[in-house]
Amino acid sequence: MSASTGTGRFAAVALIAPLLVFIAVFFIWPLFTVMSQSVSDTAVLNLLPRTAQAAKGWDPESPPTVEMKTALAEDLQAVEDRQALGDMTRRLNSAQPGFRTLMSRTTRALRKDDLPDLGEVDERWNQPVYWQAIVGALSPTTDRYLLAAVDLERDVSGNIVAMPEEASANRTIMLRTFWVAALVTLCCLAIGFPYAMLIASTEGWKRQALLGAVLLPLWTSLLVRTAAWFIILQDNGLINWMLTGLNITSGPIPLIFNRTGVVIAMTHVLLPFMVLPIYSVLLSIPDNLMKAASSLGAHPMRAFLRVLLPLSLRGIASGSLLVFMTAIGYYITPALIGGAGDQMISSVIAFYATGSANWGMAGALGVVLLAITILLYAVYGRLSSAEERRG
Amino acid sequence: MSDLRIRFDHVTKCYGTLCVVDDLELDIAKGEFVSLLGPSGSGKTTLLMMLAGFESPTKGRILVDGEVIDNTPTYKRDMGVVFQSYALFPHMTVGDNIAFPLQMRGIGKAEIAERVTRVLDMVQLSAMRDRWPAQLSGGQQQRVALARALVFEPRVVLMDEPLGALDKNLREQMQLDIRALHNRLGLTIVFVTHDQSEALTMSDRIAVFNKGKIEQIGSPREIYDHPSTRFVANFIGETNLLEGIVDGAAGNGVRVRLPDGRHIAAAASDTLADGQNVLVSIRPERIRLDDLHGGTNQLAARITDSVYQGNHLRIQLDEGAHNFVVHLDRKAAQHQPGAEVMARFQPDDCWVIRS
Amino acid sequence: MFQGLRLVFAIAAVTFLLAPLLAILPLAFTSSVFLTYPIPEFSMRWFDVLFTAASWKRAILNSLIIGAGTTVLATVLGTMAALGLRNWRLPFKGTVRTLFLLPMVVPAVVLGVGMQVLFVRLGIASSYAGVIVAHTVVSIPFVVVSVIGALGGIDRRVELAASSLGASPLTVFRKVTLPLAMPGILSGAVLAFATSLDEVVLTLFVAGPNQRTLARQMFATIRENISPAIAAAAFLFIVGTILLAAIGLIVRRQVAARRGLQKSES
Repeated sequence: MSASTGTGRFAAVALIAPLLVFIAVFFIWPLFTVMSQSVSDTAVLNLLPRTAQAAKGWDPESPPTVEMKTALAEDLQAVEDRQALGDMTRRLNSAQPGFRTLMSRTTRALRKDDLPDLGEVDERWNQPVYWQAIVGALSPTTDRYLLAAVDLERDVSGNIVAMPEEASANRTIMLRTFWVAALVTLCCLAIGFPYAMLIASTEGWKRQALLGAVLLPLWTSLLVRTAAWFIILQDNGLINWMLTGLNITSGPIPLIFNRTGVVIAMTHVLLPFMVLPIYSVLLSIPDNLMKAASSLGAHPMRAFLRVLLPLSLRGIASGSLLVFMTAIGYYITPALIGGAGDQMISSVIAFYATGSANWGMAGALGVVLLAITILLYAVYGRLSSAEERRG
Repeated sequence: MSDLRIRFDHVTKCYGTLCVVDDLELDIAKGEFVSLLGPSGSGKTTLLMMLAGFESPTKGRILVDGEVIDNTPTYKRDMGVVFQSYALFPHMTVGDNIAFPLQMRGIGKAEIAERVTRVLDMVQLSAMRDRWPAQLSGGQQQRVALARALVFEPRVVLMDEPLGALDKNLREQMQLDIRALHNRLGLTIVFVTHDQSEALTMSDRIAVFNKGKIEQIGSPREIYDHPSTRFVANFIGETNLLEGIVDGAAGNGVRVRLPDGRHIAAAASDTLADGQNVLVSIRPERIRLDDLHGGTNQLAARITDSVYQGNHLRIQLDEGAHNFVVHLDRKAAQHQPGAEVMARFQPDDCWVIRS
Repeated sequence: MFQGLRLVFAIAAVTFLLAPLLAILPLAFTSSVFLTYPIPEFSMRWFDVLFTAASWKRAILNSLIIGAGTTVLATVLGTMAALGLRNWRLPFKGTVRTLFLLPMVVPAVVLGVGMQVLFVRLGIASSYAGVIVAHTVVSIPFVVVSVIGALGGIDRRVELAASSLGASPLTVFRKVTLPLAMPGILSGAVLAFATSLDEVVLTLFVAGPNQRTLARQMFATIRENISPAIAAAAFLFIVGTILLAAIGLIVRRQVAARRGLQKSES
């Protein structure tokens, strides 16, 4: 070691560097891209480069200059992408109502005439407020996606206010995500804790079999498990087939495309993450502690409450955090087993990204989800490193 | 000294501000069996690790056969190391483990096979050649590790508490086996241990370590009979220590005055000035008990405890100023607690240590 | 009474865990076009579809190509990094290790959105390279954890012993460290392959129609036109998993028996 300490450090760095670079480029950079998407707003800037140039140094309180009007007319005439124009109009209209009619009248006039004076096309082009909206939207960064992600917006004067009831959907979806994740965590705990105790109290092949029953699903493809629940839960699926076959119910009870199905399937998928941490903590508790407690006169129930439960609390906390953290980011199971009312935050992000190409919103919601997940992971890391120090 | 093999030249090893080996000098001759003995943390293992090349000195030099080896990497040092945990390669058979150092030296297959056979014979493990290390007992693994460290005829064999994990009987057997191998092959062995009886049994010389320094180095007899410091006297075997002041000469030694005014005649290594504070060490097995009065070097005492320990009786004495421990032959007369006796010892068996 | 309760709970829990896996298996052999019970007649028609229909055949092939690429890339990068982390005595070693584990934690959809945007910019969107890279990112943690675990189990003194016996650092690595870490590296590789095989979310974002993998195809099948072909695919998955687990177990048993490790471990 002695003679090679220097080269050893060099070798270590050389060994780690490739993965470090790989992770930086293909993991950190994408996450950074998400973050920058969430604050980037170039829908207006891309279409109106000349206007941006002309509006430099303009006093927002004064009437618009001739150069600005000419530049805007040129910019608008140069636009070929109708979709982008629509996006921009929507964006401007949300900052200053009335832009929609103003824009459609202006573009109609521009199609007829070569470079008319905008002030003559519509009187509103002489008012500073419309130009203020344009200048405001020319900035390449914005906080409106991040605000919208938590159902906030800026009003005309720039103050942060709550969105109107009918426009706010994200807070509902976030609350739903937490609610579903909490339900799943509770179900996992309700099954997982007794199950972990059961494994810890058995020995030999029984313990192996019980452990295997947890591990086999863990090793099985997520899609296979989701497909399996699909088969079991669907209207003409296994459960309903048995229920109607036994004449317990007359028709199928709805189990799929609703909350029940999502919670059942996610509980199944995430149960191992609850059982294994609790089991490992239980294993570390010497089994003579319970014997000692009862020899000291504690009723088994009391011994459980006073000795076993407090000692296994760390395992329960770790397992619950792990399940909750994984559950809030879940996409596949809700997407396949859930109905429209069960879509969680990941589904909404995917919708914004792939469905409507609204990268700003996708990014903003992604940042929120990322922040919550990393926070939970930090707490989890604290817990497990404290566990290691104790052990 | 033409047969000088190893020299530690003012070697220091510090981790931060903590120096585990402190300006240490030690020469080891060719063919010598030297034990590094001391409590854990006294620096003996660190010294061995520096010799093997696993650690490097903070200051000072290490010379082997006259050459400074500080910049020689471990694999070129040509030293066989035996670890307490054996450190056998778990993924190789016994034979492959032993062949490893020979393969590293590019020796031909036929010769490797022959030398492995020879060394396996020597450690009496010929039948185990194709076994896996984990299939062997601790003692067998230990002998494989030994064979592996000897097979390439290294300049020095380093052993780091190699017998620490074995039970008592096996350990004593292995001590004799290693000693015999040393004598037969003329090996130079540096042996780290914290077990003083092991060091006494096996070594030509013992270096007693304390806090990064060598307290005393010498033959087992010197170390045991003539400890030069209180630490050595206490660490090697059990002893009774009496504080006193030198008060004139007596025969080959000195007279020591105890605090209560009585005198003891004791042997000493060199002349000591009158009035010097000293300790007198008397080994428990050198004390005899009787009820005769008269003569020097005797103290009246009362027996407080008597314990049968198999090969001897361990008796505790209360002499007023001191508590004494005495080992008597187990066939000695019954000594009941409470009995008044005289504790008697020869001047030759009392050894004066400067305090 | 308590014992009875325990037994009932045990049976219920094990049923909940295993019933879905067992329920899907027989449907692989249905002759019906519906994925429902009861099964009218047993037939191999859906396996036929799996191996002859162009979309399924293509998907299986894609999964194998992408899985192999991911396995090689993730295993090489992850093993190297784990080896480096072992020797690296710097204060931010823990941070680096956490960074390598983070892809396991970050929600796949968020990562997918970022990759989609970035990969277009880098010109690897809708390419095999892009999908392999994406899968490698999420497979890395499994390899790193597995190899770090294996390296942690190696007694350092065994390596010191090798160097004292005359082995140069490279030889120590080749002859001692690598063979001893091999079980961990192999299980990391298997986990990387399994992760790639099962990856859907990132694939949705970065793959083009030409890189449609088996998992992606199954996702589409469940979502759009559920057919028993998915049960046949699931059958292959489950049987494959059990087979792999069994092989792994047997190999480990054999290695353990050969080295007599069960004695020292117990």
